[in-house]
Amino acid sequence: MDPLVQRIVQEARRPVAPDPAAKARLMAAIHAEARPRQSPRRRRWRWLLEPRPLALSPLGGFAVAAGLVGIGIATELVRTYRDGHTTGEPRVLVAAAPLLPVHDTVTKFVLVAPHATRVSLVGDFNDWNASATPMQRTPTGGTWSVTVHLAPGRHVYAFEVAGSNGTQWVADPSAPLAPEDGFGAPNSVVLVGGSAS
Amino acid sequence: MSDDAADVQRVLSGDVDAYAKLVERYYDRCARFAIRMLGNRDDAEDALQATFLRAYRALGRYQERDRFSAWLYRILVNQCRSIAARRTHRERVFVREEALLLNAPDRTPAWTGEDEEFVQRVLNELDPLLREAFLLKYVEELSYEEMSALTGAGVSALKMRVKRACDRLRERWEYIRDD
Repeated sequence: MDPLVQRIVQEARRPVAPDPAAKARLMAAIHAEARPRQSPRRRRWRWLLEPRPLALSPLGGFAVAAGLVGIGIATELVRTYRDGHTTGEPRVLVAAAPLLPVHDTVTKFVLVAPHATRVSLVGDFNDWNASATPMQRTPTGGTWSVTVHLAPGRHVYAFEVAGSNGTQWVADPSAPLAPEDGFGAPNSVVLVGGSAS
Repeated sequence: MSDDAADVQRVLSGDVDAYAKLVERYYDRCARFAIRMLGNRDDAEDALQATFLRAYRALGRYQERDRFSAWLYRILVNQCRSIAARRTHRERVFVREEALLLNAPDRTPAWTGEDEEFVQRVLNELDPLLREAFLLKYVEELSYEEMSALTGAGVSALKMRVKRACDRLRERWEYIRDD
């Protein structure tokens, strides 16, 4: 974190000392309120989930145990396995296909900015951190690029371009724009593992 | 069952004083967020009163599978938003009058880094949504997923708000330093 921001955070984290009378006023207002009640539906649901002691006679316990054993035997008699054979039939062994590995996808970002002194890729994949993914200027001059590994899915990103006029946040001119976020700076969208939308 | 859930059950069973334990447990932390978010103690107290009263009235709908603190914070964030929206006009007048009362020049003073008033001023200058995201992330130390559940905004949008809040704070600092 930026040292300046760190200092602001430290100051903002200091406990505040609320007016003790405010808590007293709050509790007085609470006492003046009607008592909150659980809805009947919630009470019934709670009754069903609540643990409670269960009394069972020895004879009743024996009957329950016998019933459970009977259910187990009946289940085994009619059991059908996932490969289709039933109990008693010879098993056919099926080799499972190996799981396909899930790969990150390599994506190359390119921006033409001949007058820039520094360009960074910022997006939700690097917490919008401008120092995380600096772009490299190509030997021919005006083009900046970087190649990154992105997990499949939708990613929102932009470029932070530094030049003689300061630093600007610009969308990718070759990609669709993300929905307006309400802060004035546009962003772009890339769909990794599919087409951009 | 957590302490919070046990206290909620006691309140629902008729022990209203059990609510005082919940208030005691969360009031100061909520007060810090409300003061930092709204910028003054009067509005913060209004937000806190409304939050704890609403939570009390809705206690029967609280689900134990949710963390009480997260449920309470969701109410608090909404209360702060409502109060901030209502006072948009009033705030301009308030800030100007406050400066006159304090006999202070109408510019932000130089900052040594330990000045609570200065920090509150630069926080107040942030857009409310940026300030809210910044406070939830770095002051209340919530995860982006928790913030998303509280605010209804997506994780990606929240990350962007936090990033922009940091940028604005840095810009403001550089402006003051160079002034």
